[in-house]
Amino acid sequence: MSNNKYKVLIVDDEANICSFIAAILESNGYQVLTADTCAQGRMIFASHHPDLIVLDLGLPDADGSELVGAVRAAGSAAPILVLSARSDEGEKIRVLDLGANDYITKPFGTGELLARVRAALRNARPGPAVPGQMFRVRGLAIDYDTRTVTLDGAEVRLTQTEFNIVALLAQHAGKVLTYSALIQGVWGTADAGSVKKLQVNMANIRKKLGARPGENPYILNELGVGYRMYSE
Amino acid sequence: MRKRAQKMLRCSALTGLILAATLLISLFLQEFIPVDALVPSLFILAVFVVALVTDGYAYGIAASLISVLCVNYAFTAPYLTFSLTLPENLVSALIMLAVTISTSTLTVQRRRQAEIRSETAREAMRANLLRAISHDLRTPLTTIYGSCSAIIENYDRLPKAQQIKLLGEVREEAEWLIRMVENLLSVTRIDGGRLQIAKTPTVLEELIDSVLIKFRKRYPGQAVTVEIPDEFLTVPMDAVLIEQVLINLLENAVQHAVGMRQLWLRVACRGGQAIFEVEDDGCGIPRDKLGELFNGRMDVADGHKFMGIGLSVCATIIKAHGGGITAENRREGGALFRFWLALEDGPAPAAAGKEGSH
Repeated sequence: MSNNKYKVLIVDDEANICSFIAAILESNGYQVLTADTCAQGRMIFASHHPDLIVLDLGLPDADGSELVGAVRAAGSAAPILVLSARSDEGEKIRVLDLGANDYITKPFGTGELLARVRAALRNARPGPAVPGQMFRVRGLAIDYDTRTVTLDGAEVRLTQTEFNIVALLAQHAGKVLTYSALIQGVWGTADAGSVKKLQVNMANIRKKLGARPGENPYILNELGVGYRMYSE
Repeated sequence: MRKRAQKMLRCSALTGLILAATLLISLFLQEFIPVDALVPSLFILAVFVVALVTDGYAYGIAASLISVLCVNYAFTAPYLTFSLTLPENLVSALIMLAVTISTSTLTVQRRRQAEIRSETAREAMRANLLRAISHDLRTPLTTIYGSCSAIIENYDRLPKAQQIKLLGEVREEAEWLIRMVENLLSVTRIDGGRLQIAKTPTVLEELIDSVLIKFRKRYPGQAVTVEIPDEFLTVPMDAVLIEQVLINLLENAVQHAVGMRQLWLRVACRGGQAIFEVEDDGCGIPRDKLGELFNGRMDVADGHKFMGIGLSVCATIIKAHGGGITAENRREGGALFRFWLALEDGPAPAAAGKEGSH
């Protein structure tokens, strides 16, 4: 049994934060490794190949985003969950675009942390849509082959662009896609009006999926950063 | 730079006006009474006034030089000629210069003292705030420290239910501390409205969505009735800060509107502005507090409520956005908080705020 446990590496120089995250994860069946510097994090990553990294950005020896770069440069797809402070959207966008999978804003509760960890692990290796593959989360189903979306069995009429956005989010369900990543994936090129174009399309998608402010069951909006499809 | 040019123009105009007036009065008096003794003192008065109302030394000195020439040319024998060689003229010129310089020195000193006084007042306010905050921090920290110690030291003796209760209180206090720190951080992000806020066009629906999700996490039992325009709308703002304002206002209603059954969050567009309203049907705002809700005067005795800071943070944020905020009691009972932001990014018209508030 113990061999099947997911290995999680926590990189944070605050010993107390490390210790409570470790307590939460261990009591939920994860194997935990800890590092308190960027260099130590790299070393443990290289020797233990963890399944997930929980990373604080403010480390004593280097910026945490360096570790994100190093992990991705090494060709690893291990999901990285970044712990961030509240008010730096710019920072969040930067690490997400560098290859981090998700961020969680400090302070956070047990439930939130576990949900993010589960989501990140489940979608560890997102790939291009395989023929015949469907995406399902609760009442929402996406058929990549026929390019149809159904909500509780009823078809939702989306435009080409709207479908492309939904499909891209679904392929990366659980991961925050930044505005620029979505624009790149859907249109290929970005210009000054791109973000607004994306936002208008998202507003239409929300309407068609029956979302209302505060009740947005499928696509979460990360204000000023991007969007995320729920994976559970 | 423009402000400086404006100031220079104002000072020059004032100097010219005062000297011209003095000259006219002197010429007028000349018709009726012998003025030889009177005119120099009139001009000394003029120079004194110029030094008083303008900044720095330059205008005063210029005024005194002009005055000396004026008196010399028009009002001292030999009339209508410059005669700087006569010793009494030279002496009177020197006296005028002395008056100017000493007046200007006094004025400059007085201004500097006023600046120091207002700086001291600001410092005192900051110290008061710090004291109030430290006081308010101590209460939750005492609970957290005490409860945790109690559990650690009596782990085997305390019944499980009681341990959970204590820990629940620890969590509650910690959550309160987090909210307060977030508010304080918002204020430091602005700091007296001096810093330019980085505004991004924010989709209104997404903002409200984000606010409601956060609010519901804190107060799962509290329903909010939302009314926002149907069309796609973006408003330039610092979304993190406006989110903070809306959450503070909603939270304020939950904590202070006694007897509240319904809570509304409305947004409407009128006259080039997005007008946000948070309305409740609770007990309303006590009349004596209505005037100073937003000025950050904190009631230390109010202890845990802390809305003094919450609402003044709202006011600071809205002001920094170039908008406005008001609070009033509804006729049918309950409170209504309203703030407005310009829909177009640019210098916010000061008068437009009034239109939005009625």
